[in-house]
Amino acid sequence: MLVLSRQRDESIIINDNVVVTIVDIRGDKVRLGIQAPQEVPVHRREVYEAIQRENRRATSVGPRDTENLPNSTASENRRG
Amino acid sequence: MLSRMMRIDTAHFGWIDVHTTDVLRFPLGLPGFEQRRRWVLLARRDRDDVSWLQCVDCPGAALAVVDPRRFVPDYQVSLAHRDVACLGLRSLDEAKVLVTMNRTERGLTLDLKAPVVLNLRRRLGRQMISNSDLPVRYALEKASPPRMRKTA
Repeated sequence: MLVLSRQRDESIIINDNVVVTIVDIRGDKVRLGIQAPQEVPVHRREVYEAIQRENRRATSVGPRDTENLPNSTASENRRG
Repeated sequence: MLSRMMRIDTAHFGWIDVHTTDVLRFPLGLPGFEQRRRWVLLARRDRDDVSWLQCVDCPGAALAVVDPRRFVPDYQVSLAHRDVACLGLRSLDEAKVLVTMNRTERGLTLDLKAPVVLNLRRRLGRQMISNSDLPVRYALEKASPPRMRKTA
């Protein structure tokens, strides 16, 4: 892993279009500002990994599991 | 766009014929399926509550998806403008929003944190991850109002 030291308000630039700026440092918490093109997704890593796991696990749900959905008759709640 | 039929293999429903124009393009894949870019939305003819987001290129990659408002009427998700804009949408109102369904030992859950957002006009999709504090495993039973009450 590449390790760089940065101070508050300093940045690093990745691949000429992603800029990560140290916005604030308080104790063991660092606030980052990220400028990236729209098509580049930016996520907190642990959250992204949780969604990855959830999606992979969700493929074990089959049609039989969805036979009796709770409240599935509540069509009055549906939008248009 | 010229539409051709194509036959796709699915783990749950066998071979299914779809039009090439039915395909939804997910330029980033889905988290956990980053290389899977082509998906279709399937539903049983007699059911409109559950659909299946089925990968065109992988029979086993299929996710049950539902309209979250059907189960969580006040479901609101806020997404970063940049995420919405990348689908060519001006606002979420133009989008079709679905959430994936999962199963735990306690029952079915909905991933309210990461809605699948579709621009049907452009046949483009992306699973967004909301910054709001929404559950990844929302227990579906909780959405049901109690059907019985004690009257005495």
